[in-house]
Amino acid sequence: MRMKSVCLYLLLLVGLLNVLPNLSIAQTGKLEVKGKVTSNDLPLEGVSVTVKGGKVAGTVTDKNGQFKILLQDGKSSLTFSYVGYSEQTIAVNNKTTINVSLNSTASETEEVVVIGYQTVKRKNVLASIASVSAKDLKDIPVNSAAEALNGRLAGVTASTAEGSPDADVRVRVRGGMSITGDNSPLYIVDGVQVENGLSAIAPQNIQTIDVLKDAAATAIYGARGANGVIVITTKRGKPGKLQVSYNGFVGVKQLARKLSVLTPADYVLYQSERSRGSSTDSLNFVKNFGTTWDTLKNYNNVAVVDWQDEVMGRTGVAQTHNITASGGVNKLTYNFGYTRNDDKAVIRNSTYKRDLLNLSADYKFSNKLKVALTTRYTQTEVNGAGVSSEQGSSFSRLRNAVKYRPFLSSNQDLDDPDPLADPNVGNGLNLINPITLADAEYRRKSTTVGNIALSVTYNIAKNLTFKSTVGVDQFKLVDRQFSDSITPYSVISGSRKPIAQLDTAIRKTITNSNVLTYSINKYKGKHDFDFLIGQETYDYRTESYTQLVRGFANFTTPDNAFGNLGSGLSFTGYPRVNKTRYTNMSFFSRINYAFKNKYYVTLNARADGASKFAPGKQWGVFPSGSFAWRAKNEKFLKDNSFISDLKFRAGYGNVGNNRINDYLFLTTFRNDGGLYYGINNQAINAYYSAGLVNEALQWESNESRNLGMDLSVLRDRITLSVDVYNNQAKNLLLNVPIASTYGYSSQLQNIGKTSNKGVEVQLGALIAKKKDFTWNANFNISFNTNRVEALGQNQKLFFPAASWGVSGQPTDYIVRIGDPVGAMWGLVNDGFYTLNDFEYNTATGVYTLRPGAVNASGVIGTVQPGSIKFKDLDGDGVINMDKDRTIIGNPTPKFTGGLAQQFTYKSWDMSLFLNFSYGNDIYNANKVEFTNGYTGNSNMLNIMANRWKVVTPQGQTAQWVTSTGQVMGIAPGELQALNKNATIWQPIKSAGAFFPSSWAIEDGSFLRVNNVTVGYSLPVDKLIKMKISKLRFYFTANNLAVFTKYTGYDPEVSVRNSPLTPGLDYSAYPKSRSFIFGVNANF
Amino acid sequence: MKTKNLYKLTLSVAAIVLLSFNSCNKFLDQKPITDVSTEVVFSDVPSALKALAGVYSRMVGDAGYGIRVSLYYPLDTDEVQGPTGASDNDRRDIARYAATPGNAQITNPFNQMFAGIEYANICIANIPKMAMYANGTDQEKKKLQRMYGEALTLRAQFYTEAIRNWGDLPANFAPASTLATSNPFPTRTNRDTIYDRLLEDLKLAATLVPWRNELSAIGDAADERITKGTVKGLRARIALYRGGFSLRQDGVVKRSTDYLKYYQIARDEAAEVMASNQHSLNPSFRALWKDQVNARAVADPNGELMFQASGIGGVGAGDTKLAYYNGPTVNGLGNKSVNILPTYFYAFDSTDLRRDVTCAIYNVAADGSAKIGQAITAICDGKYRRDWISNPTVSPTNAIQYFSLKWQILRYSDVMLMFAEAENELNGPTAAAYNAVNQVRRRGYGQSLTTANAAVDLPAGLSKAAFFTALVKERSLELGGEGVRKYDLIRWNLLASTINDTKAALLAMSNLAAPYNNLPTGMFFRTGSTSDDNRFGPTGLWANSFYRAAPTATPAGTTRVVWLSAAINTTSLARFATGFVTGKSELLPIPQPARDANRNLTQNPGY
Repeated sequence: MRMKSVCLYLLLLVGLLNVLPNLSIAQTGKLEVKGKVTSNDLPLEGVSVTVKGGKVAGTVTDKNGQFKILLQDGKSSLTFSYVGYSEQTIAVNNKTTINVSLNSTASETEEVVVIGYQTVKRKNVLASIASVSAKDLKDIPVNSAAEALNGRLAGVTASTAEGSPDADVRVRVRGGMSITGDNSPLYIVDGVQVENGLSAIAPQNIQTIDVLKDAAATAIYGARGANGVIVITTKRGKPGKLQVSYNGFVGVKQLARKLSVLTPADYVLYQSERSRGSSTDSLNFVKNFGTTWDTLKNYNNVAVVDWQDEVMGRTGVAQTHNITASGGVNKLTYNFGYTRNDDKAVIRNSTYKRDLLNLSADYKFSNKLKVALTTRYTQTEVNGAGVSSEQGSSFSRLRNAVKYRPFLSSNQDLDDPDPLADPNVGNGLNLINPITLADAEYRRKSTTVGNIALSVTYNIAKNLTFKSTVGVDQFKLVDRQFSDSITPYSVISGSRKPIAQLDTAIRKTITNSNVLTYSINKYKGKHDFDFLIGQETYDYRTESYTQLVRGFANFTTPDNAFGNLGSGLSFTGYPRVNKTRYTNMSFFSRINYAFKNKYYVTLNARADGASKFAPGKQWGVFPSGSFAWRAKNEKFLKDNSFISDLKFRAGYGNVGNNRINDYLFLTTFRNDGGLYYGINNQAINAYYSAGLVNEALQWESNESRNLGMDLSVLRDRITLSVDVYNNQAKNLLLNVPIASTYGYSSQLQNIGKTSNKGVEVQLGALIAKKKDFTWNANFNISFNTNRVEALGQNQKLFFPAASWGVSGQPTDYIVRIGDPVGAMWGLVNDGFYTLNDFEYNTATGVYTLRPGAVNASGVIGTVQPGSIKFKDLDGDGVINMDKDRTIIGNPTPKFTGGLAQQFTYKSWDMSLFLNFSYGNDIYNANKVEFTNGYTGNSNMLNIMANRWKVVTPQGQTAQWVTSTGQVMGIAPGELQALNKNATIWQPIKSAGAFFPSSWAIEDGSFLRVNNVTVGYSLPVDKLIKMKISKLRFYFTANNLAVFTKYTGYDPEVSVRNSPLTPGLDYSAYPKSRSFIFGVNANF
Repeated sequence: MKTKNLYKLTLSVAAIVLLSFNSCNKFLDQKPITDVSTEVVFSDVPSALKALAGVYSRMVGDAGYGIRVSLYYPLDTDEVQGPTGASDNDRRDIARYAATPGNAQITNPFNQMFAGIEYANICIANIPKMAMYANGTDQEKKKLQRMYGEALTLRAQFYTEAIRNWGDLPANFAPASTLATSNPFPTRTNRDTIYDRLLEDLKLAATLVPWRNELSAIGDAADERITKGTVKGLRARIALYRGGFSLRQDGVVKRSTDYLKYYQIARDEAAEVMASNQHSLNPSFRALWKDQVNARAVADPNGELMFQASGIGGVGAGDTKLAYYNGPTVNGLGNKSVNILPTYFYAFDSTDLRRDVTCAIYNVAADGSAKIGQAITAICDGKYRRDWISNPTVSPTNAIQYFSLKWQILRYSDVMLMFAEAENELNGPTAAAYNAVNQVRRRGYGQSLTTANAAVDLPAGLSKAAFFTALVKERSLELGGEGVRKYDLIRWNLLASTINDTKAALLAMSNLAAPYNNLPTGMFFRTGSTSDDNRFGPTGLWANSFYRAAPTATPAGTTRVVWLSAAINTTSLARFATGFVTGKSELLPIPQPARDANRNLTQNPGY
């Protein structure tokens, strides 16, 4: 039924296209004019030549740039226009030969910006938009355009959560408003909405990236515009000869930082300490490490194994090759590119390969009808499980590289599984030789992305243009995970036999937009008017299949397992299938009006209907408006030679967000094999409730206000943009933790309000411009404050959990009115208990807590001298999780920014790019786990070398806890002497080992020397003989240095995808430093 | 020119808008593809059964009776205790009554029971509204009535399990979709109110669910699902909890004054089950466990296994770790984490056959059959044994942790003992009360059920109090290691005194003081013996008697293990219920994450 209406609709559209051109009328003329169109002295083919205001049909230039046209009279004007070049209009004045030279629009002054279904000159932009162009990208040899964005644009952050080659780049515009889960901006590539906009495009293929920041710009995208819109324009062919260019680089990379751990001797010493007071542990200790105290001295001489080096220390090699060919023949222009990325990362078995093909073609049927085709095909292959896991500690791999015994036991090789392993450790936290583990956890992810966009532009009449765009985007991921018999997964769920998991995910998107624009320039000399109306549909389907198979014979290889999944035994409830479809339909309109190039007004409106909401709640209407005053064009500034441009902008708008799962307004039941019950010894798959339904779900809306100023002085040598904004999000779609006694952990509700307020400054300067030397600098800084303004009914706060540790761990984040979204929540550390906190009974040798000393036993178990201590915030004498937790960290930076500088000297060029963040806290959960003694035989960070000790240098137990919970010890004087240099508590063994406290919160401020490049271009005269028009060699260092107080691997980290738990560092793939050599060549 | 353009513009716009709107409502009407709606689930018998399977499924898995609720929570008692090892804020601390609100093992079971209640609420709200419930064939109607009754029974089971562990709790008797919006932070409801509701529910359920022998008439197979006997037996149990002591929110252990009313319900329900002749005792206590439970039988011929949580799937989501976490190890595989107290072993009469089913004093060697005798502090509970598993058997080298065994929630002998207890409380030790206990005892000793047997039967003429004391012991001998004892002791208000008495007894045993002064200090097991009971004699595992002083010299072909010694003090007593505080330890703490999500959920006394 629906298909029918779509067909009908398409048919009518075609009809419309056919009928309308006939309305124009052909005429005869009297004067023949001919001439040649060139650019930089080269002929331009396919330039359209039209008669201004006349009724004469236009023409196009031939391959020599020649044209011939018959005019009615000699008083007309001819307009020469060509994509990528600025239009020129020349009065004929009875001349019969007119030669024209067109300028490429790539020049600074004619910079254009895509603002949504339309392109405007940067000077006329009313909204807050920041851009990066191919010119900025060329200096940075990166494999992802997102990496290139980071720190370059005020108000835009693009950070990788971790250092793996395929790590998600998290792009945030003005901090992100939503707290539902996805704050990523909307990606529009060549006019088509695309998922994963940045990962499937080679940076070398990008012409410009425009980031639309405020609602004045994004409201035309209505739905999903709330988090900013990133508009990417890819390179297109230019008319003229075939141009071929090659860009390539090869580089090496290394782990940027390591964590230092205890020496073998200290490791064994602590294991000895840890075993005291428990007969089982003591027996195990003797079994593992020796019988007498004297033998422990031998561990001073054993060879140290640095597992971080072994697992993450290899030298990575990355290379990229890109070939581009572009040109034009007759009415056709094309651009073809092929890019190959090959990355061997620093972690064992971790590699990344990507092939990208792109082809774009523009065909001009006539002056009225143009067709543009863009296709892309990307294939990515990622190998290696890396170190991180979205699950808790049992599945973290990094912990093994840090906590594993720092030496080999006798007869153990580097890649031998652990002879001391106790697989029955609670919570599955036993340690595994990190090398064997890395080899035992196989993972291969293959992604293919295919993309086709076709647009037809038809000039229905003068000033009236119709454009229809159809985009098809197909994504397929095949993810193979194989867990061999020693892995925690196999031990816990697979009876120590290999487990194979095969996930297939397919996403298909079909979009169609139809836009009419009508524009009048200089009506009565002073009115510019633009009107746009359009309609868009978006159809998004997902399919996923998961097969989970266990019980393969030991020594089955991953290839064998995936080749013959049937040889294993499916987990009950598998395979699983899930399919969804989401449709969205929109109508939108925009009016631009400019008066005398002084006053500008833009009004946008968009109505969006989404299938994610119940009928009646499907439609959201999102209006916006902006106003600008170009003071420069006023009399009092017109002739001012200092100020070359000055513009003030004000914008207001409302945009929507609906990034939630499908069908949440319906009570639905899953039938995916997730739950089942044994009846007659057969698993009966259950229908179970998918979640707590909420029929009232509706659009989230984000009200945004923006004030801006753009100033250029000294003939645009210095440019300054300042924006002040206040974004208020309401009806936030919030996954609210609900009383677990209702049977669910959370429910999605339209509650809550957040605000983001901030200032952004972007300052550019051409500091020096001499014959041989230029110096360009671009500085940006952004200040953003984020606040929860309101939550649900009667709700002032709730506690999200980062879930990084063990089950039952207390929540470690808070969302509370008046605080930033997702602040770290926990106990406040107060050093450790000293002997002053205890009374000693000399007769019995028992230490008891002095009256008045804070009692933390409810949190950490038996309190003894040297136990970690917390502040008793409510003063009731006991540490209590209800009353003594507070906000211990704020993950929002006070400001972030970057400084990019580019220098050229004769044939040399150099660029230096720094970025920085100040005032944000990081929750260093690694540190919490890497300093506790929860698991036996585990190593710790070397800060624990100065711990409170409970064994004397002679091996005598100085302090222990009896099985009835009494603290026994040697006399206070001796214990004090033993611990006079202690700077940190004794490792927490039991209760509280994974509890968040202020000690784990660290200042995440940093200044990073992100990128340094030095390039040399061969002089052109030497190249001509080789038929090379440009040849440049360069050397780049990426992530050269980071200045920070942060003690973890890297301060730019956030491993959980929930916006409610930002700034968590747990088991992230460590970042690397790379040195790259590259070449750019044009033929 | 201008007007023409405007005309075109208007025309084009109108065309686009009209055409689009035409298709737009249909375009936006998307229905789930792989998920299904309530209407589909509750449309016919097989679909509704799948929804009911979702309710059943919340009983099993790691967070259900798969391990935590069955093997972590009911410890320590005078029967069994938890594993050795240091305090861990985990399973060990739960057994030792030292759990904190942040204990890693209480959140998921708490959540899972309430998921079970929610899934049951969805079935209870929808099944009776199904068109087929009113208009289906007779068989369809009866099948749906049974499912409705099963959902009511399962909800009662989840609530009872939650209340006996956590006390008063929010009361949800409708799907969360109808409650959560208006009352997002529910407060705790008095457990008496909830229990009263559950008793009413089960009264209704008993009218809906058929007896065992009525299943074939409605086309249902005899399997692990609930029958009328289950409903009534569970109702008797809940009535005893309702009429028994419990730790109240004010920190006092008490019971309501009208408790006899509930004993009457328990007595009547148990009597009806017994009178129905639908259930009987398996003549062999050992066969019941070895050939029914460990052989993964679907339903036993006697119907003694009245309610079981049936694990399957081999993973933590839906299976059980019975015989992996507890019971003897085989080839070093297994956790052996539930230990029989030395005092409990000696609570059995030497001729009570239940002793050697309940207590396994061995591990199994790598060959899967040779037994290795264990010290008195390392006796395992024996009702779920890896080496007893058949249908199919488990190879000694298999490292699997999930055996798809079924946790026994209610047995017929429990119903008989409940009858005897309630009858005694109401009417004194009548002949009927005696008869119920004596049948259980005769079976335990391998005697004919119906023949009076002075050697085995309870002595005649006991006072009401003495009969009660005998019952307290009999329930322990019959139901040891089945997760019943702790909650029995609480409802009798005997937990604190029993723990103290047990500690004293363990200490006396450790010091070889009376009455333990004549017991052996060492036991000798025959190397290579494959005997799986604890018999002493030429063909048994043991070379000397458990009740006489040990020989001074090691008999040929045997190995000595430590028996009565100070190890009982340092290994068993040292970790036995160390954190127990009456007025606190009768309940678990409410998990911290649950309180973080609902500030109206107050903490239990003492935590």
